[in-house]
Amino acid sequence: MSFRIGIDIGGTFTDFAVQSEDPLPDGSRLLVDKTLSTPDDNSEAVMTGLARIAERLGLALPALLDHTDAIIHGTTIADNTLIQMNGAVTGLLTTAGFRDELELRRGFKEDIWDVRLEPPQPIAPRRRRLGVPERILADGSVFEPLDEAVARLAIARLARQGVESVAISLLFSFVNPDHERNLAKWVREVMPDVEISVSHEVLPRAPEFERTSTTVVNAYIAPRVTVYLDRLDERLAAAGYRNELLVMQSSGGVMTREYLRGSPIRVLASGPAGGVVGGAHIADAKQAPNLLCVDMGGTSYDVSVVVDGRALAEPGWNWHHRYLVAVPMVKVETLGAGGGSIAHVDAGVLKVGPHSAGAVPGPVCYGRGGEQPTVTDAILVLGLLSDDSEFAGGRFSLTRRGVEQAFEKYVAGPLGCSVEQAAYDCFRVVNANMTQAVSRTTAGKGIDPRSLTLLAYGGNGPAFAAIQADDLGIRRVLVPRASPTFSALGALAASPCIDEERSYLVSARSADVGRLRALWTELDERAERYFAGAGFARNDLTARHQLNLRYPGQNWSLSVDVARIRGPRDPGFIDAALPERAIALFHELHEAEYGHHRAGEEPEITGVRLSTSAEISRPEVAGGLESPRRVVTPIKHRRAHLGRGFEPVGIHRGAELVPGDVVAAPAIIEESFTTVVVYPGWEAIVDDAGDYQLERRD
Amino acid sequence: MTYEVNRRLAARRPPLATDAVVDPVTAGIIRGAFETICFETATHLGRAASSAIINQSNERNASIIDGHGRLAGLSVGIPQLLFISPLAVRWGLEHFDADDWGPGDVFVGNDPDHGGGHLPDYNVYAPHFGDDGRIVAIQALQAHQGDTGGKDPGGFSVDATEIYQEGMLIPRLKLVHRGRPRQDAIDMLVRNNRFPSFAGDIAAMISASQRGAARIGELVARWGADVVRAAINWNIRETERRFRAEVERWPDGVYEADVWIDHDTVGNEDVHVHVACRVEGDRLSVDLTGSDARPELICVWNTFSNSRGYAMAQLVSMVDPTIVKNEGLFDAVELILPEGTIVQPPPNKPAALGAFHPACEIGEAICIALSDILPERSSPQVYKLGMPNAVIGFDARGQMWMDQGVDVRSSDASATQGIDGWGSMCSGLGNLVLAQAEDAESRFPVINLSRDMTTDTGGAGRWRGQPGTRNVKKVLEPTTAVAWMVSKKHPLRGLRGGDDAGPYSNFFEFGTEREYEIENSVQAQLPAGAVIAYQYGGGAGFESPLDRKQEAVLEDVLDEYVSVAAARDRYGVVLTGSVEAFDLAIDEDETRALRERMRTQPPASVPRRKRVERIEVRLVSEGSAKS
Repeated sequence: MSFRIGIDIGGTFTDFAVQSEDPLPDGSRLLVDKTLSTPDDNSEAVMTGLARIAERLGLALPALLDHTDAIIHGTTIADNTLIQMNGAVTGLLTTAGFRDELELRRGFKEDIWDVRLEPPQPIAPRRRRLGVPERILADGSVFEPLDEAVARLAIARLARQGVESVAISLLFSFVNPDHERNLAKWVREVMPDVEISVSHEVLPRAPEFERTSTTVVNAYIAPRVTVYLDRLDERLAAAGYRNELLVMQSSGGVMTREYLRGSPIRVLASGPAGGVVGGAHIADAKQAPNLLCVDMGGTSYDVSVVVDGRALAEPGWNWHHRYLVAVPMVKVETLGAGGGSIAHVDAGVLKVGPHSAGAVPGPVCYGRGGEQPTVTDAILVLGLLSDDSEFAGGRFSLTRRGVEQAFEKYVAGPLGCSVEQAAYDCFRVVNANMTQAVSRTTAGKGIDPRSLTLLAYGGNGPAFAAIQADDLGIRRVLVPRASPTFSALGALAASPCIDEERSYLVSARSADVGRLRALWTELDERAERYFAGAGFARNDLTARHQLNLRYPGQNWSLSVDVARIRGPRDPGFIDAALPERAIALFHELHEAEYGHHRAGEEPEITGVRLSTSAEISRPEVAGGLESPRRVVTPIKHRRAHLGRGFEPVGIHRGAELVPGDVVAAPAIIEESFTTVVVYPGWEAIVDDAGDYQLERRD
Repeated sequence: MTYEVNRRLAARRPPLATDAVVDPVTAGIIRGAFETICFETATHLGRAASSAIINQSNERNASIIDGHGRLAGLSVGIPQLLFISPLAVRWGLEHFDADDWGPGDVFVGNDPDHGGGHLPDYNVYAPHFGDDGRIVAIQALQAHQGDTGGKDPGGFSVDATEIYQEGMLIPRLKLVHRGRPRQDAIDMLVRNNRFPSFAGDIAAMISASQRGAARIGELVARWGADVVRAAINWNIRETERRFRAEVERWPDGVYEADVWIDHDTVGNEDVHVHVACRVEGDRLSVDLTGSDARPELICVWNTFSNSRGYAMAQLVSMVDPTIVKNEGLFDAVELILPEGTIVQPPPNKPAALGAFHPACEIGEAICIALSDILPERSSPQVYKLGMPNAVIGFDARGQMWMDQGVDVRSSDASATQGIDGWGSMCSGLGNLVLAQAEDAESRFPVINLSRDMTTDTGGAGRWRGQPGTRNVKKVLEPTTAVAWMVSKKHPLRGLRGGDDAGPYSNFFEFGTEREYEIENSVQAQLPAGAVIAYQYGGGAGFESPLDRKQEAVLEDVLDEYVSVAAARDRYGVVLTGSVEAFDLAIDEDETRALRERMRTQPPASVPRRKRVERIEVRLVSEGSAKS
């Protein structure tokens, strides 16, 4: 008997996915559950949920935890700290003359049309950003020594301001970290209890704004993340858990608590990453290597892409909660469109979102005091949802009371149309917004959406997915049965991974091969140490060696794969011919990414990257369509509007469908936490794993 | 001839002929699709282009133009430039039959006297035809090219007297005919350009415009040409309606402003822009009559199309930002750009630098004029620098290198009602990405010594301007440095009683006996080790500094945006203690008394001709501490 448990904390629910080595009483090896989140102390919901799972398994909690090999945890604690801006009192020590780098943001502003856009709330206001005389050059030489006397004055100034966390970011510290180390030492002497984040550890690469911003955000969230994870650690240990707590990272990999102690920033945005990793995990089984993942919940619509079965994680220009965070991050585009998005008429134009009624008061049809019409209310009017079915797993029923009045007041009246037309218009607008969000995501990556399979999850994703598919020419949609707890499932599928870079800027052909070897070795030894701490032997590890290159004049680099080594370290591939090989690979990758390359031009290397991962046992996924087909008849019909006017639509109960069942359009499948809509022109098939596969039928 | 062409190109165009009726929601969906297509097209260009100015600085702008040459949709980019493509496309459309337009064609144009901006801004456009053989919409792209084949690399000649010196003029030229590239034409463009990356850039512009046209085709296939045309009509009409509805809320009257540029590139002083904004009911006219027309001015002539773009970029920043940007804006405003002046020059005037100044001063003048009635959205969408300090040298192999100097900086980030100036520049430039020391120093023999904001260079005000940075750079080898300075004598103007921004200044060979200030333009030889110190102007202040909350002034001093002295002299706030000791406090009584006194006897405004103080910068002596 052994278990692995994935936990994802959302705004409303904390989701659990338990993978069991032995078959459970119902024959499966996977158990999912949900419990209400406890935002004041998220570890509480975790413990409550674990206790409930133990009960469902007929075990005492200590027995469950004793038999649990790994608890893998996705947390929003860092994101919430940035949303609420309640992190540590943070100071920054930086090279004199570069004090304002953080505030100037390389010129970036989020809205080019709105002169009333407010500045971001400063994490480190100017009074706590102090320059220290010192200067290291690109080659690591010291142009100006660190001025200890002035540095100590600056540290004293920070101490007087009561800082709780100090970021240190000096120019070219990733080449020569001596000055940063000295500063850290002096800070420690004066303020032994503050958190210290040094840029050459948090993000050892150029350029200065990206590194500084990432380090400062790290400093800001570090104390809260540390306290939270320590508390969870303690609670789990006290309850009988004996292994390392694994934490989901924004890159889509997981790593130990110990590793993240140095750079807690890596847990930022790890929630959505879990869903994408889950998508990548099922991609293979469903013969869909290229996926468009859409997660529509109550307030947001998250879009991301899986290519060749991999969630793409890119370091670089990642703006997150108005700050730049340049650690590798699974790219997720978020649109303010969810079930709770509010419809309103603005200067004669119907708009839906980005404001959401959230869970409280929620849509009008929740009957909890919501007064403004939402997307959920619209699809209730349209018949996609019903007030005679159970909602949210049977926790409550929807009500039509007040819904029509809300549409009349806020939409139909101002637009001069009927309530049903108003609801349908809301439906059209939110769909158009989502389609455009998807187009932006695929355009940004240069991907033709028609080559993708759409994977829909989250409470509301499956009700809309086929509309976006139709808009974009996508002919296949996957809806996992575990759709509402998909991110927790993703945590189980994520590999332990350390993905780090070291800067080295040089013309490719002039690269010092010895230095490349030294940098990779340094990264490799680091990774090996942390993996050993997590119980992984060298032979379990795969090290993906990449070189970052770009053409001179470009701002952004591409990472080319130069060697993937399994097991013991083997630097044999780092030879005199490596630069030439890398150049050829770079031209090729540039052609594939951007549609052209500059054959005659010598690219420059900007750094080395090493992504080390370990294999784990993942939840099994099936995907076949072998089960004998059977067209099922609906349990009843309901009047609903699926885009061609109101008509009788077949209603199916998801719990009663089995592999091989085929649901003809138009139809609505009611699952306990979600609703799958089979639009005209589509057909739903229950695959061998019990998941829904929707296919375009013409 | 030029004026007549301009008049014709700018004339209001009728709606598209269509029998279809479109509901507002469908029109909105099609508008959103246009914006997404433009985003996709601009993104494609950004990814595919080979030169840094396009693929990093984001100087690429996509718009969709209808069969009548009206702006139908656009995406992110630089607002001023997003409004420029329509006139160049209209010049093309005038030759529809002669040039044998058809499906699969792609054209280019850059001629300022035929609808273009300035020569580096190439407009590439590709039409999509409906089944009825009529154009439904045209995908247009505008992007800045690194060279234009003129007498000086880059196309910016500070001494140009006619446009032929600046490079090759292209009124319109077909690059692709029915889907087949016209290699002869493309080769000619490539041959006339110094930049090896140009071939890749023009290829990227062509493929991006084709992609946009194809996407328009998919939209037409989905909705039908007539519905798309009806949606364009609806959206343009709606924008005009909304803009006019805003104007209707403004008090009727004539609002005027004057703005000056320090000098042209040869030293003719006080180049003048005048604007009168007339508001009457829902009608707004923006009249630049009275602006300079001195024939001796060099390089400060803005092209007609560019003047329209800069004027409109300022106007849209002053209304509800959710108003959709399209031709309806131009339908709602009467723009009067007097012929023969610096805002609509005579034929064949150089255009490269005029596209910066007086272009920006047009926007600034409109902002000042309307600031009394639109205080909540008055923020000049301008850049007051002449150009950054570019340094050029040759490496050991004789290869030229250039550090363009578009470094991280703060300049011209002004306050508006309720919001202090913030960030690096005005909102409109928020898509640019500025250069980094760690990138530049790995490539070029330079050291960026400092670029902190300079205390007190933001205009004081109830809401204050962001201070400008002082960018100090050392060159390690002999180099050529190029600069053009303005906005020292006439810095960015404070609004509604706010102080002016701090002025620009620029010193070469700084900290040596040979130190000199750049008063106008220069192409200088710098010895190894020379230091250049460029003080960017700050943002302007908004309303009287005496009305700024004293607590906010204390915060400003703590953050060293404002000095203790300026807190007293400009804001009337008396502080005790020191920044270093972190024990600053407001002397309430003294402050009350001082503010009272300053209200009745206002201090002299910040002297317009304020001498730039000799810059104190920490300078590291060469080699002093090299290990």
